[in-house]
Amino acid sequence: MASVDIVNVKKSFDRAEILRGVSIHIQDGEFVVLVGPSGCGKSTLLRMIAGLETISSGEIKIGDQLVNDFTPRDRDVAMVFQNYALYPHMTVAGNMAFSLKLRGIDRAEIDRRVARAAEILGLTALLDRRPRHLSGGQRQRVAMGRAIVRDPRVFLFDEPLSNLDAKLRVAMRSEIKDLHQRLKTTMVYVTHDQIEAMTMADRIVVMRDGRVEQTGEPLELYDTPANLFVAGFIGSPAMNFLKGTIEVADRTGFVADTGTFVPLPPSPTHGELAGRPLVLGIRPEHLRIADGAAGGFEVGVKIVEPTGSETQVTATANGADLIALFRERHTVRQGDQLHLTPTHFHLFDGQNGARLASVSI
Amino acid sequence: MNKNNRLQNALFYVVVVFISLVVLFPFLWMLSSSFKTQTDIIAWPPKLIFSPTLQNYAKVFGEQDFLKYFINSTVVGGLAVGLSLVIGLPAAYAISRFTQRRLALFILLARLMPGISFLMPWYIIASRLDLMDTYVALVLSHMLIALPIVVWIMSAYFNSIPVELEESAMVDGATRQYAFWAIILPMSGPGIITAVTLSFIFSWNNFMFSQVLSMEKTKTLPIAVYNFVSYAEVDWGGVMAAAVAIMAPAIILTMIFQKFVVKGLTMGAVKG
Ligand SMILES: Nc1ncnc2c1ncn2[C@@H]1O[C@H](COP(=O)(O)OP(=O)(O)OP(=O)(O)O)[C@@H](O)[C@H]1O
Ligand SMILES: [Mg+2]
Repeated sequence: MASVDIVNVKKSFDRAEILRGVSIHIQDGEFVVLVGPSGCGKSTLLRMIAGLETISSGEIKIGDQLVNDFTPRDRDVAMVFQNYALYPHMTVAGNMAFSLKLRGIDRAEIDRRVARAAEILGLTALLDRRPRHLSGGQRQRVAMGRAIVRDPRVFLFDEPLSNLDAKLRVAMRSEIKDLHQRLKTTMVYVTHDQIEAMTMADRIVVMRDGRVEQTGEPLELYDTPANLFVAGFIGSPAMNFLKGTIEVADRTGFVADTGTFVPLPPSPTHGELAGRPLVLGIRPEHLRIADGAAGGFEVGVKIVEPTGSETQVTATANGADLIALFRERHTVRQGDQLHLTPTHFHLFDGQNGARLASVSI
Repeated sequence: MNKNNRLQNALFYVVVVFISLVVLFPFLWMLSSSFKTQTDIIAWPPKLIFSPTLQNYAKVFGEQDFLKYFINSTVVGGLAVGLSLVIGLPAAYAISRFTQRRLALFILLARLMPGISFLMPWYIIASRLDLMDTYVALVLSHMLIALPIVVWIMSAYFNSIPVELEESAMVDGATRQYAFWAIILPMSGPGIITAVTLSFIFSWNNFMFSQVLSMEKTKTLPIAVYNFVSYAEVDWGGVMAAAVAIMAPAIILTMIFQKFVVKGLTMGAVKG
């Protein structure tokens, strides 16, 4: 078990700069999820922690050790790959024992550790099988087993669930979380699925284009996203955005570029922000049906999707699509006109995307 | 299956048989001649029906010291292929993993260049170093045939193995060398069988290097066929029987490993 310090790490392949100065402090025993769109450099960063990719500049420390020049074998980390990378010519037991044999651990101890890992992961009956005779979910477990027999300082996961079907993915999600609670080993987990990030992480690191956009606990990112990118990336369905300006003259509210007027109650922040190009952000569950026509803005209902527990309504306001999520059961139909009003909203800078204010009504 | 289909099928087989006959004709002629007497062979029109004789084979294995040539060919081919594996497998791995395309092309060039362009240098080197008619010279020259085949087939094969396998082994605590030895090599069976089969056959069939570098002591099979060609006359029956005896191992090898060879050669072309 150990902390991991990533200090101003950069990485270039040939001339292309892939990581442009990334700093993350991961505490001992923490479960950190790196999340971001495809190609943002998550795997590259993880592989640099594992020692599979050289570090162009910056420092990576595991515990108190600077590991920049360590080979993978000297770093004492375990990694689960997206394609599992099981050794096809070895049995499940052989796959798990490989690293222990390399460390010269004696036979009895190896058997004991393999048996224990197999029990934790429910692989006991499969120990003599070859990987090609296993299902996708079983292979995934073997890959996990290969990591946990070792008791490494840090676990690294690169999208370990992306090859599984939806149901299995949800099940494995809680199993991995459970495993973390049991082992209490530092884990760094890469995914591009923000739901995985939200449900599993102690802390999430949102990356884009080789940079860290924001680091924080899941609900912190959800409630106070640092900028438009994080606001749009975290949360599903995604936050609704309207470009426009604040007006405080004869009426108070947000005037979208499309012409939609969102009435807002007076607030001191509005005065400072009036006239600047802004983006109004409203999460789908923060929209409710207004009490009267004057209290909200008009939308036309396009799609209604009830799931029983909630109803998702896709609506359009002057050509801009919005999604609203209602816990209560409204009888809305396609083609209806509704008046919506936010219960909570964010304002972002129209130029650099930084969050300027979050207001509850 | 309807009538149309059946007709198409029949046509297909007619074409296949025709092409096979054309391709196999020299071989069949050789095979039948090896069982004929000298008079039957040169008879005109060619005799389709004749009383077969084993006298040619008796000559090949009896009068001529065929076993010695057979052993020579096996030793030279075996050593050349074995040493080519020792050098070629790590080389192919390095070419595959560190994408040394230029190096790979350079090695292929050695294979594409006409063998005859290597003859003079080999001859001079061997005679200056007093290596004429030794296994050393012959094996080294045959490695020029075997090594490019091993490197080419194996680098394509390694390309088809996901890098994550070694990476995983390295994170598990292996050095790259050990990962190659313990993970990559054990799963390269089909590729290695292909490379060995093809390079051994090419070495087995090689005439040019052996002709120049070997004399009585290290003479290989293809050269031995010439023992039946004398100044006065050509013993066609003996030549044919010897040729059949030489081709047999190559054909048997190919038939046994055909499945692997086809798989190994198309590896990397098709995913999965
Ligand atoms: N060996 C390499 N040589 C050159 N470019 C590379 C190499 N490896 C990765 N890249 C580039 O670096 C960028 C980041 O890749 P990386 O695999 O880290 O992305 P990622 O965030 O893991 O994306 P994904 O979610 O698709 O896995 C990509 O643009 C990729 O093309
Ligand atoms: Mg990736």
